[in-house]
Amino acid sequence: MPLKVIEKRDVEPLVRHLMERFQVVGIKKKDGKNTYGVIESPAELRLDSCATITSPKKYFFPQRETLLQFAVDGSWEPQAVVEAQPRIIFGMRPCDIAATWMLDMAFSEVNPDANYLEKRKRALIIGVDCKEPCDEYCFCKSMGTLEVETGYDLFFTAADDTYIVRTGTPEGEALLEEWGKAREALYEDRVKLRAVQREKDERFKEALEFDVEELPRFLEDSYRSLLWDVLGEKCLSCGSCNLVCPTCYCFNVLDEVKLNLSEGERYRVWDSCQLEGFAKVATGENFRERRGDRVRHRFFRKGKYMKEMFGRFGCVGCGRCTRACLVHINPIEVYNQLKGGE
Amino acid sequence: MMKPKIAVFEFSSCEGCQLMFANLEDEILEVLGAVEIVNFREIMTEKGDDYQIASVEGAITRESEIERLKKIREQAKVLVALGACAHLGGVNCIKNYQDQEEVRRYVYKERAEWFDTIPARPLSAVVPVDYAVPGCPIDKKELLEVTKSLLLGKKPSLPDYPVCVECKMAENICVFDKGMTCLGPVTRAGCAAICPTFGNKCEGCRGLVDNPNVNSHKQVLQEHGLSVQGILNSFRMFEGYLEVAK
Repeated sequence: MPLKVIEKRDVEPLVRHLMERFQVVGIKKKDGKNTYGVIESPAELRLDSCATITSPKKYFFPQRETLLQFAVDGSWEPQAVVEAQPRIIFGMRPCDIAATWMLDMAFSEVNPDANYLEKRKRALIIGVDCKEPCDEYCFCKSMGTLEVETGYDLFFTAADDTYIVRTGTPEGEALLEEWGKAREALYEDRVKLRAVQREKDERFKEALEFDVEELPRFLEDSYRSLLWDVLGEKCLSCGSCNLVCPTCYCFNVLDEVKLNLSEGERYRVWDSCQLEGFAKVATGENFRERRGDRVRHRFFRKGKYMKEMFGRFGCVGCGRCTRACLVHINPIEVYNQLKGGE
Repeated sequence: MMKPKIAVFEFSSCEGCQLMFANLEDEILEVLGAVEIVNFREIMTEKGDDYQIASVEGAITRESEIERLKKIREQAKVLVALGACAHLGGVNCIKNYQDQEEVRRYVYKERAEWFDTIPARPLSAVVPVDYAVPGCPIDKKELLEVTKSLLLGKKPSLPDYPVCVECKMAENICVFDKGMTCLGPVTRAGCAAICPTFGNKCEGCRGLVDNPNVNSHKQVLQEHGLSVQGILNSFRMFEGYLEVAK
């Protein structure tokens, strides 16, 4: 795929151009913090900011989403509802690009999910490279998500007054082609890109005290560890870790009937395995009644089960769960402790 | 289908939850198409005692209220506690931590001799309560959900997860990150995290989730600067009747 160059001053015109055909989503400021939102004017887009509260997954898998409409008395066939619109996520970080790959697997491998896949199909992803770690909580380098080779249509790396743009898909290439203001990269741009990547790599430190490939084994050996009970004592079961996680995809399905009592809708809403009701079934039996068991389940999902299912870790090292945790449950510390308990 | 008959009553409260009921302006005609309201002092003059569903606002703070509530319970097939006072005892229970005689004089002034006062309690401390619409005040949408469930013969269910869930879905900046403290991590959701969304902290008006990790959350509150008394006071705002505030 060709390498292109865009002048930084041309980004605003590019965004304006894209806004004519797409809903453009990117990182904006909210009360002094960063969040993914719909860009209303090109100047709002903050390509330099990172560490958003929640991930951009909400644009493929919204917090609440209608799945179908039905008649209470069954007088008409239930109607499936699938909503999607042409959308560009401009400025997705490598960790979130890796997380989107994980969601793509989860929503297509076993039960293809029309609601997710339709939104995903109509969206283009423009990634932006990180320059430095968001804060002390992110550990993408250790999880292998600091660099992404695929999962984007275009990928921007800032170098001096330009962005050097990798094209990941024909759709991404066509987007630049049609805009017409990106130039071909020259030899010196390639040299510059390599230098920027090298400098960036030095700024990110390894947070794990072991090779992450060993994580599934450490987890397996820790199944009966007291560590889970200790974390369970602290955990508030508030679900925040799951809700801000870019790879969590569990949802609950509920029905809501209109006031006329004759029709209604079935919708799904984000769920969390840390909540007490998550593993509760009809008879009242709860398969993970203890907090410690629920905490353990989360770490096993991220560090073992998803790796076994899809070949990659469910944790991309973005640090959002740690930032959101009031009792300081931090995967870096948990994983390193697991190693210590070996 | 016979329309179910509903009556709305109040005990010690500000009547704000009934007002939320009366404020169902966009939906009131549809509600009236499905139910018949036979007794609702705040909006009508007629007073019927032939009802199946009693929606009751307010806490119990006087002996005479106990008798009146028992009569309502005898008549109603379904008793719904409307709002924090009825559901939890609510802010009324703050007085349980003060001298009862002083409270009586402060409230009833020169006529204090005419009235008794007993420690405030939720409806459920006096009679069995079938369902609750929590909150101070109640949430209109939730009131409609409970009403619809009762009409459909479904058991109304309240969320058993904390306010944090709704706060994260709304992408609010965490109240603790703003330098305040919050009861959201142990408080039952269902309000769409309305207070944090509008810049306040959660005071716990909807009661606690079924199995809150209160000890851990008390440590969080302490870590964010609250004294032991400060922690108890924050729980006493709405959960004064519960062990957690004692």
